[in-house]
Amino acid sequence: MDPRADLRPLKKGEVNLGTSIMAIKFKDGIILGADSRTSMGSMIANRVTDKLTQIHDKVWCCRSGSAADTQSVSDYVKFFLDQCTYDFGQKPTARIAANLFRELCYRNKAQLTAGIILAGYDEETGGEVYSIPLGGSLHKADYAIAGSGSTYIYGLCNKYYKPDMEREEAIEFVKQSLTQAIRWDGSSGGVIRMVLLTKNDPERLLFLPDEYRADEYPSQTPVSA
Amino acid sequence: MAGLSFDHYKRNQHLAAKGVATQKFTSTGTTIVGCKFDKGVIIAADTRATAGMIVADKNCAKLHRLAPTIWCAGAGTAADNDKVTELESSNLELHSLWTGRAPRVVTALTHLKQHLYKYQGHIGAHLILAGTDPTGAHLFSIHAHGSTDVGPYMSLGSGSLAALAVLESKWHDSLTKEEALALCAEAIEAGIFNDLGSGSNVDVCVMEIGEPARLQRGFRMPNPKSVKSRNYKFVRGTTPFFDPEPQDAMVVDEVAA
Amino acid sequence: MPIEHSFNPYGDSSGGSTLAIAGKDFAILAGDTRHSTGYSIDSRNESQIHSVGDGLLVSPNGFSADARAFVDDVHNDIIWYHHKHNKKLAISSCARSIMHTLYRRRFFPYYVSPILVGIEPDGTGAVYSFDPVGSYEREASRAAGHASELLVPFLDNQVRKANQVDPETGKPLAQHDLDLETALQLVKDAFAGAAERRIQVGDWLEIAVVTKDGHKVERYPLRRD
Repeated sequence: MDPRADLRPLKKGEVNLGTSIMAIKFKDGIILGADSRTSMGSMIANRVTDKLTQIHDKVWCCRSGSAADTQSVSDYVKFFLDQCTYDFGQKPTARIAANLFRELCYRNKAQLTAGIILAGYDEETGGEVYSIPLGGSLHKADYAIAGSGSTYIYGLCNKYYKPDMEREEAIEFVKQSLTQAIRWDGSSGGVIRMVLLTKNDPERLLFLPDEYRADEYPSQTPVSA
Repeated sequence: MAGLSFDHYKRNQHLAAKGVATQKFTSTGTTIVGCKFDKGVIIAADTRATAGMIVADKNCAKLHRLAPTIWCAGAGTAADNDKVTELESSNLELHSLWTGRAPRVVTALTHLKQHLYKYQGHIGAHLILAGTDPTGAHLFSIHAHGSTDVGPYMSLGSGSLAALAVLESKWHDSLTKEEALALCAEAIEAGIFNDLGSGSNVDVCVMEIGEPARLQRGFRMPNPKSVKSRNYKFVRGTTPFFDPEPQDAMVVDEVAA
Repeated sequence: MPIEHSFNPYGDSSGGSTLAIAGKDFAILAGDTRHSTGYSIDSRNESQIHSVGDGLLVSPNGFSADARAFVDDVHNDIIWYHHKHNKKLAISSCARSIMHTLYRRRFFPYYVSPILVGIEPDGTGAVYSFDPVGSYEREASRAAGHASELLVPFLDNQVRKANQVDPETGKPLAQHDLDLETALQLVKDAFAGAAERRIQVGDWLEIAVVTKDGHKVERYPLRRD
């Protein structure tokens, strides 16, 4: 085994989040987005997975890679952040959470297959996005994309992302980007989930395939029962 | 040392690499399903246990009690499922004694996923966990590597695709108990008939909010044993055997007083 | 790690089991109709008993694709024999011909363990069994396929009366010719038992009885799980 990074395929029989995930900054804060497909080999183990995980009130992450590894790491970070809150009496920032993820992913890189995007909102920064890819490095960005489906939308996102987008425009950007990722990546699919982190309470959005792919297959628009 | 012993792991791998046949574990090549209904949750399982291509048990129990209203269906290695559920039922009992509260399904979920994650998939337990607690009715699945999923209906095991075909086509979000029961049974039967790893009967466990959980072994029995056309009773004395005197088989050794 | 690519011409799709018993003036060839690969059922209703002409029945037993090619070969050989010699092919000659068919492919064998059943010119029922490369012998009974290790001991005990003594005299029980009625009952019970414990055996049991007047086939239900 190469001790430097776990770049092998998944362990035998492991549940995989063959994924399209992203997080962006926009005018009011943060949007996290993800598809909902979980696969075991060629089988879809769950078609309505929730890959957007709450770490703290307004600190969330998108998970890609091994389902078991990313759930476990998220649980640890969640636990540490809770401890921080009790110890220091103030809300944890995305920066702190991202560094905890980085630490865990870097120290245990030989055992883990976890690619994580972390994003959080606070009044001070107006929202931050971090990417923690496989080796355990940490990258701050205005937007981040990850997972197997992200390879198909690097160009698209690069061309169309704008800082300080309005809410509706930002939602549309995430929706269109993920639609293309899902369209071309065989191990991404299902519904599109989003979480909006702004000065208000976190808000969840859900888009069904019938809607986000309606223009692609006009004949498959919802048939009323 | 606490935990499982991996003393023979390297030796067995070495032996396997040299072509020595590895032990066949009894696996519950299985169909298990779970489904929520308006007032609770149901889990169901087939009853065939296999060792390779041989039926090891025609009527085994794959539904395990973790707490009075929290039950669990297991697919994968039979021994791992038995042990992991036994351990969890014990831990839940102690935990609820310590906290003075009724055990919760999420508690079982967290315990189980952390235990399975620790063993990195070497404990081959794939579980559907369901139950009722003071916070309502819950349904989860847990894979051997420690990942968990939530959902209103789900299936696991070698017959999961057959079962899921039924669930995906007939499930809706306002099932009554009777409808959910029939749906689960039909999903398991799809596994029983279309997956060779699953067979025999349908077991179900109904967990309704505010009610004691009800396990029904043999809820459906679509595979009765056929009647033999001949009688195979042997007349006493048919089987030849040697009858040595007991003292012939003894070693007499005298010890000086 | 180098990646190796190879093609395996043999698959694991196969029929369940077959069983043959030779009587004084009849022979039985029985088999279930389930075909499977791994845990999947390929067919619930595909006969393993093939009539190849001249009152001879063959069950190929083994890898389904080879089984079909093998039966076609045997069938063809009999047709050509008729063209060349304009007479019926005796079962002993057919057995020899099958031996050649199998040995011709000594270094790329048909993955089959065939059984040939018919009536000898002297009127006695005959069962010939083969290994994949042509070794063969005439026998009183034979079981092949997935449940053979379940069927053979039962046959040994009930047909050959193995491990049974007369309680009065203590002498081994004499083997006597089976009547058709008893033989049919044994076959049905043997398969019912095999279907209980072997997952590849089930769905339907076909029993072909061969006499000097030809053969007829009857079907009985087996477990379907």
